[in-house]
This record gives sequence, structure tokens and C-alpha cells, in this order.
Amino acid sequence: MKLKQFTRAIFCAALIMSAATGTASAAGERMQLKGELIDTWCYVSQIMGGSDFIVGSAHHACAVWCAAGGIPVGLLAEDGTIYMVMRVGKDSTSVANPGVLGSMSHVVTVNGTVHKRDGINYLFVDEIVADAGITKLTHETVGVIPPFAVPQQ
Amino acid sequence: MTHGIEMKRMLVVAAAAGAALCASASAYAAKSWGVTNEEIARFDAKVVDIACELGGDCPANCGDGKRQLGLLTDDGKLILVSKNATAFTGAAEELVDFCNKQVTADGLWTENRGVRFFAIQFVREVGGEWRAANRFTKKWSARTGIEESKAGNWFRHDLRIKEVFDQKGLLGLGAEADKKFLESRQ
Ligand SMILES: [Cu+2]
Repeated sequence: MKLKQFTRAIFCAALIMSAATGTASAAGERMQLKGELIDTWCYVSQIMGGSDFIVGSAHHACAVWCAAGGIPVGLLAEDGTIYMVMRVGKDSTSVANPGVLGSMSHVVTVNGTVHKRDGINYLFVDEIVADAGITKLTHETVGVIPPFAVPQQ
Repeated sequence: MTHGIEMKRMLVVAAAAGAALCASASAYAAKSWGVTNEEIARFDAKVVDIACELGGDCPANCGDGKRQLGLLTDDGKLILVSKNATAFTGAAEELVDFCNKQVTADGLWTENRGVRFFAIQFVREVGGEWRAANRFTKKWSARTGIEESKAGNWFRHDLRIKEVFDQKGLLGLGAEADKKFLESRQ
């Protein structure tokens, strides 16, 4: 009898859990995305100048600052769409995630789930499957943005 | 855009941010930062953990500052708050104190490249006392044990950042690339 109750409890728990995951995945869309991990504030606001140079090596230092400061990290896909990174693997830290700080400005390929809500794409990354490093050598054209990120000698 | 103009712009922005903080004792109203498609706004909304709102993964206290937080309006719109009023910092540390509470948010919108999100400059619980959204530096100082006099430039003293730069250089391309770049500037 006890075993039966236990089995039923497990069964019900499993049912509820699958229902919960079902709801979550129904709202989101499984995707593989390739793009650069960017600092969304500087890129979107253009507070430091045009978005086209708020990528790659020119903005690497600032991108690390902003990620460590808890500004949302974005994945800038090749088609220009921005996805806000809300989780990486099992780590649901989306503020200064230590697993992302060392990959800022890198072009990565990820598998994950995208939830679209009120104009923003929220990306829950399951795994980073490839990392091509920094591919845009923007510092060769514009130096470092902001210039004061370069330590004074 | 030349460096001169960028620098000038940075100074204007820094001055604007500074002025906003200095004026905070008397005037709790957002100042312009000159960002793209800027729109100054004040509205009431509930502070929510975005991952919780989207997927039902809801740790205690909205993730204790480790999660991106948003503002949920009465008509069900979810707003991503990307920025607070200190340098190079987000809004989680400002909003987490109001987890699941109704607040009045004061700040500005920026919109570009398909994203519209909010930068918060002042916040209060509805009917409560205003505060400037500049708690980050104090909390950073408390968390790291690094004195508050350095917290204004926290990004120059943060050990997590130092570790990345030590390993990958300022440009993210390694020490050799940094050396070449710095030499080319002389
Ligand atoms: Cu930045």
C-alpha cells in the first residue's frame, strides 16, 4: 500500500514536472544561434558612438566592464537580431555570469531556447557548442572605445 | 566618428550622469543622456525576475541580484531594465530591493537595432521615498571589501575584470596584440 502511494506520488510529480516544462518550451523556441556576445547597453544606446564599432576588439574592454557590472549580455546574431542571454547551461545567473566574462566579444554558436516578449528576445542558452574568438578587429579602425579604457602610461 | 567627438560626447554624458546624481537630493527626475531615440519616462510597474516571468523558474528574492530584473506594467507589458545610474552597471542591484513590489520608475528609454529598453535613474516603492539608482557602487564595495573611495571607478579595481585582462589582454586578442596596438599609438 505504502509503495503504491509512493509510486503514485512519483508519477504525479513527474506529470506536474513534464507539464511545467511543456508550458515553458511551448512559450519558447529551440534554436541554434551564432553571434557575438555584446554589451547591449553601449551597442543599443550608442552612448559611445555608432553601434557598428561597439563590437569586436575595439569594445572588448568595455564589454567586459559592462558584463561584470551586470548589464545584460546580448548575442548579436549574424542577421543583426539581438538576443538577451538569460542563462548559460545550468547556471541561471544572468547578472555578471562568470562563465561569460571571458567570452565577451567572441563569436559563439549556442543551442538554446528563445522567448519573445514585448519586443525583446530572451535567450536561455543550454550549451555553447563553438567559440570562434574575437573575429572583428575593430580596434584597427577606431582604436579602443571608450579611449580611456586604455591605461595611461 | 572621430575620437575628439567621442571624447566630447563621453564628457557630456559623464557630466549629465554626475548632474543627475548631484541633483538627486532635490529633484528626482531623469536627465537626458543623449542616447539613441531617447525618451524620458516615469511610470508605475511591478519589479519581476525576468526568467521567472518567462519560464516559471523562480528562486527566492528575485535571484538576490544575480538575475536580470524587469518591470511588469499593469497592462502586462514586460520591460527590460538594462542600466542604472552608475558607470558601466546594470539595474539588478537597484531593483532587487523591490522584488515583486510595485514601484515608480524614473529614467529613460533608448531604442536602436530592434531593441527598446529602459535605463533607471530613480526609483521608489509606490508612495515611498525616492532613491537614486546608484546603489551598485556601495554594494560592490561591501561585496568585494574594496574601499568605497575606489567604487566610483569600480571597473578599474574589480578582480574579475583584472583576471580577464590578465589572461586575454585589453583587446581580447592576447598580450602581443595589445603591445603592437600600444606601440602604434606612440
Ligand atoms: Cu560598453
